Amino acid sequence: MKTLRKWSRILHRDIGYFFIGTTLIYALSGIALNHINDWNPNYSVEVNKFKTTIELNKDDNIKEHIKNLLQEVAPRAVYKKHYYPQKNLLKIFLKGGSSIVVNTVSGNGRAEFLKKRPVFYQSNFLHYNPHKWWMWFSDAFAGALILFAVTSFFMVKGPKGMRGRGGIYTALGFIVPLLFLYFLL
Amino acid sequence: MKKLIFALGLIGILFTSCGDSPKKTEQVTDDKTTNSTAIAEKPLLALADFDSKAGNWINKEVQVKGIVDHVCKHGGKKLLLVNDKADVHVESEERFDDALVGSEILVTGIVKEFRVDEAYCLQKEEDHQQSHKDGTDSDEMYAKKMEQITFFRDSMKAAKVDHLSFYSLDYISHKVEKEAEEATEEKQENKE
Repeated sequence: MKTLRKWSRILHRDIGYFFIGTTLIYALSGIALNHINDWNPNYSVEVNKFKTTIELNKDDNIKEHIKNLLQEVAPRAVYKKHYYPQKNLLKIFLKGGSSIVVNTVSGNGRAEFLKKRPVFYQSNFLHYNPHKWWMWFSDAFAGALILFAVTSFFMVKGPKGMRGRGGIYTALGFIVPLLFLYFLL
Repeated sequence: MKKLIFALGLIGILFTSCGDSPKKTEQVTDDKTTNSTAIAEKPLLALADFDSKAGNWINKEVQVKGIVDHVCKHGGKKLLLVNDKADVHVESEERFDDALVGSEILVTGIVKEFRVDEAYCLQKEEDHQQSHKDGTDSDEMYAKKMEQITFFRDSMKAAKVDHLSFYSLDYISHKVEKEAEEATEEKQENKE
């Protein structure tokens, strides 16, 4: 038992150190993606409304006119593509995911400029398993979490261990999800 | 120190035990990326004709060209392909790259049909009533969903059919279409 306790502590501590970064990545992106209906976890969106007099109807010179519009409302933006979702509505795509929608009759427009959210964008990118190698690494992380749970049973002896306070907390930790399952399933 | 080496060794074992699989998956990824020769053999459906012609190609591979209007932010496995005349939903098992938004792409995919009939409407009606009763859907949301069912029923009645067909594409691969001007810019960048 003494050896088991000793190795549980060593593994829990050292592998824990190794996975601190990964834990933060999954924790941050977990919160971000949990609330995906309330915000855009990858980009912050800046909306600019404008009115233009530039002629934007569908014709052979439309690209030139779009370039003129970009000079006016988004000088640093790089044009990507455009199309007309409705007869009087022009949508312009810009590099980086930003876009502009203009009513070609009224000239009223709305530009949405996207900016990557630092840390969140990168964490979310990894959360979605962008590559097979990351998948294996995150599997190792998940395995390590199981190991942390198992080793925690043996790490501490006495009233603060599993036979005392630790055991009560562990039981509570099981009860909470079980209650959710009971009421929601 | 010995303990640290042991712990790191254990992590190492976890990785090496899975060592040969990624090669396989990379191969799959390669297959999924553009192979213009393979793509060229598939029939090309004009996006504007997709809804009217897709019925002849159910469960078959076709190509459709359009601009990516958006990639679904919930999971990123759906995108909307558009042009001035029509749109089509493309669904994938893997996430689409956000950077595709605004690009013109040639998608190869399998045509899928989704049928809406009276049984579907009844089932949906029941589901919406339950969600409203549970408080999951607000009054406004509930009214909107029920309006959609009414629309389906009215459409079937007007067309004198017992079902409506909605078509989408199950993604296989894509190729980003570059405009001449864009390609020239890239060439110049590469030369520099």
